[in-house]
Amino acid sequence: MGTQIKLLTKWQLINLFGINVLFHTSDKKARQKALSLSIVGLFVVIVMLIYVGGFSYGFIRLGLGDVLPVYLIAVTSLVIFFFTMFKTGSVIFQKNGYDNISALPLYQGAVVISRFIRMYFENLLFSFAIMLPGIAVYAYFLKPSISFYSIAVIEILFIPLVPLTAATLFGALITAITSRMRHKSLLGAGLSVALVVVIMVGSTSLGSYDEAALNTMIHSMTDFMTQAIGGIYPPAMWMGTAMLQGDFLLCLLCIAGSVLAFLAVIALVSVKFHAICRGLFGTYAKHNYQVGALKQNSALLSLCTREFKRYFASSVYVTNTIIGPVMGVLLSIGILVSGEEKIMEFIPLQTNVAGLIPFLLACVCSMMPPTCSSISLEGKEWWIVKSLPVSTQTILDSKVLMSLLLILPFYTVSEVLLMIALQPGFLETIWLLLIPAIIILFSCVFGMTINLKLPVFTWENEVSVVKQSASALIGGLGGFLLAGVLVVPIILYPEVPADLLKLLICVLLLTATVMMHRSYSRVNLQEL
Amino acid sequence: MLTIQKVTKHYKGSSKGITDISLTIEAGDIYGFIGHNGAGKTTMLKCVAGIHGFEKGEIFIDGISVRENPILCKQKIAYIPDNPDLYEYLTGIQYLNFIADIFAVSARDREGKIKKYADDFEITSALGDLISSYSHGMKQKLAIISALVHEPKLLILDEPFVGLDPKASVMLKEIMRSICENGGAIFFSTHVLDVAERICNKVAIIKEGALVAAGRMDEIVQSGQTLESTFMEVVKNGNTD
Repeated sequence: MGTQIKLLTKWQLINLFGINVLFHTSDKKARQKALSLSIVGLFVVIVMLIYVGGFSYGFIRLGLGDVLPVYLIAVTSLVIFFFTMFKTGSVIFQKNGYDNISALPLYQGAVVISRFIRMYFENLLFSFAIMLPGIAVYAYFLKPSISFYSIAVIEILFIPLVPLTAATLFGALITAITSRMRHKSLLGAGLSVALVVVIMVGSTSLGSYDEAALNTMIHSMTDFMTQAIGGIYPPAMWMGTAMLQGDFLLCLLCIAGSVLAFLAVIALVSVKFHAICRGLFGTYAKHNYQVGALKQNSALLSLCTREFKRYFASSVYVTNTIIGPVMGVLLSIGILVSGEEKIMEFIPLQTNVAGLIPFLLACVCSMMPPTCSSISLEGKEWWIVKSLPVSTQTILDSKVLMSLLLILPFYTVSEVLLMIALQPGFLETIWLLLIPAIIILFSCVFGMTINLKLPVFTWENEVSVVKQSASALIGGLGGFLLAGVLVVPIILYPEVPADLLKLLICVLLLTATVMMHRSYSRVNLQEL
Repeated sequence: MLTIQKVTKHYKGSSKGITDISLTIEAGDIYGFIGHNGAGKTTMLKCVAGIHGFEKGEIFIDGISVRENPILCKQKIAYIPDNPDLYEYLTGIQYLNFIADIFAVSARDREGKIKKYADDFEITSALGDLISSYSHGMKQKLAIISALVHEPKLLILDEPFVGLDPKASVMLKEIMRSICENGGAIFFSTHVLDVAERICNKVAIIKEGALVAAGRMDEIVQSGQTLESTFMEVVKNGNTD
């Protein structure tokens, strides 16, 4: 079994981050694109290192140095968990190549472990990117003992294990539950979204304390934060404590616990691997259709309907793109229940923060629009629309239309709740309705524009397109970041009437949207 | 029906493609397109179908340029690839309705055609199931039905007989003849040379991206020879003598 694990892991890692394709492709354009993306990736890592170093320094200045390792471990683990949770199902139980693998004399456990190791290496990057700069800043200012360094180095390698194991367990559970159902993709997406909502709501309530306790704890911020983090994710507290106290025994116990948890989950998944795959890849066929009355629809409606069916056929696509609009509704519920003042406590700005609520709603609702992956997800079936007698504009408009119709119910519910909560005046109502609508429209068209520039048609797994492609990163965060940036002039120039600035913002965004729409309508799809 | 004039298309970063291809297909022709693996058959067919662009030359369908009026050209043709990658998240009937909607086929017309061809190919009962549950042959049949539902004037097929059962192959040949008898034309690539010899009235042989022979079957294949032996000779020597 060990030999099989080594062999399978080698073939899993050979194309990590697309390296093998890059080495063997003779397409110069593909190489240049990969090089550009690597530079962008490196830039992002550098920014992350600076950011983590910066807030670590802030922790130390506030006298919270002793809680820093615990905090860093918790953040790393949560990032890994959320990034991995939605993709473990499709990575561990990937359909591509399943028949070939099944026909070979391989242990199920070897297959599962090799795929897990691949995810481990992918996530080790997060561990290094977050822990290293933080630990370096801590070490520079607080001069810990030698044992701190040795434990830190060991623990950095093992931090991804628990969140990865938890994500694998949740992902495998969701996959196993839905594998025998007809609408597995939709159910899988629903369960994943529900899980995220529960975690988000649960973690906010875990962090709430009664006022007396809070006042006591605020005098000892270190204890407060350690307890808060320990309540949400105990391994972070244990591993952080081992690091701070130079406790090798505690470190070894944490590692042993992580490895045992990992082995237990792997054993469980391995035993059920083929059963889950068979259920997942099996299809439900009744073979009893009779041709009845059929309907004719317009090309745009037919294309849009097809887009919806494509969307709901992929749980990864749904979960990755619906979280933003769902968070918009949760935000609106939060404002309705707790009042805008409570929400705005998280935004310590000396400005009329209530006027920023439309931007806040736009920020979350415009995150990851489906258009930023919809071209890439055509994949091997891209030839179909290219061969059809329908204009580029109609094809692409159907994708944008699907995105807008998908977000519309969440936007509507959010707006209704906010109207009730804020009781805005006439102009405030206009901005509350218009600003999120325009930014959402912009983000959908922007996502489409970016995906046309950076399409990926050859992929093994939808995850690589929906979550890991350049188009998903740039196109998915465009609207989100823009909404954040657009509030800056309103905050920085309070002497300028906010209504005037908002009008200008709306006009500029609409103009940009129209220009992008005209530009993408002229794209020659044959060249993609 | 179809005029290809000195079409050249090369893939970026590769020497593969097609060079200076010219041929003409008239109404009533069943035109076979044969060549070794990687010769450029699929590239040529995809250029005609409007899936690939091309650097030089022109392609006219019923006198209309594929470059200048691609949508009008696509309305007259139907393309069936060798490997039918169809929308696995749709049922068979949903896919047929989708194609019929794009080609603006009326509800009444599509009902009749779908019923007829689905019965002929014996996949009616499976039309309500997801395409992901279909075998390769069933997907091939579905792709063929989707091509026929809008009555194309030019049917472009890439290795259409691969994966089809014998009955379906016979059905397809009859459909091809019927299209030609009604003023349409067929342009298809194949490796099954004896089928091409039996049903095609014209043939073109492509080698390493260039046309080495093209014309009427009785001119290309000499008396006493077969298409297979002619093909082997042409591929070896570079042309028919």
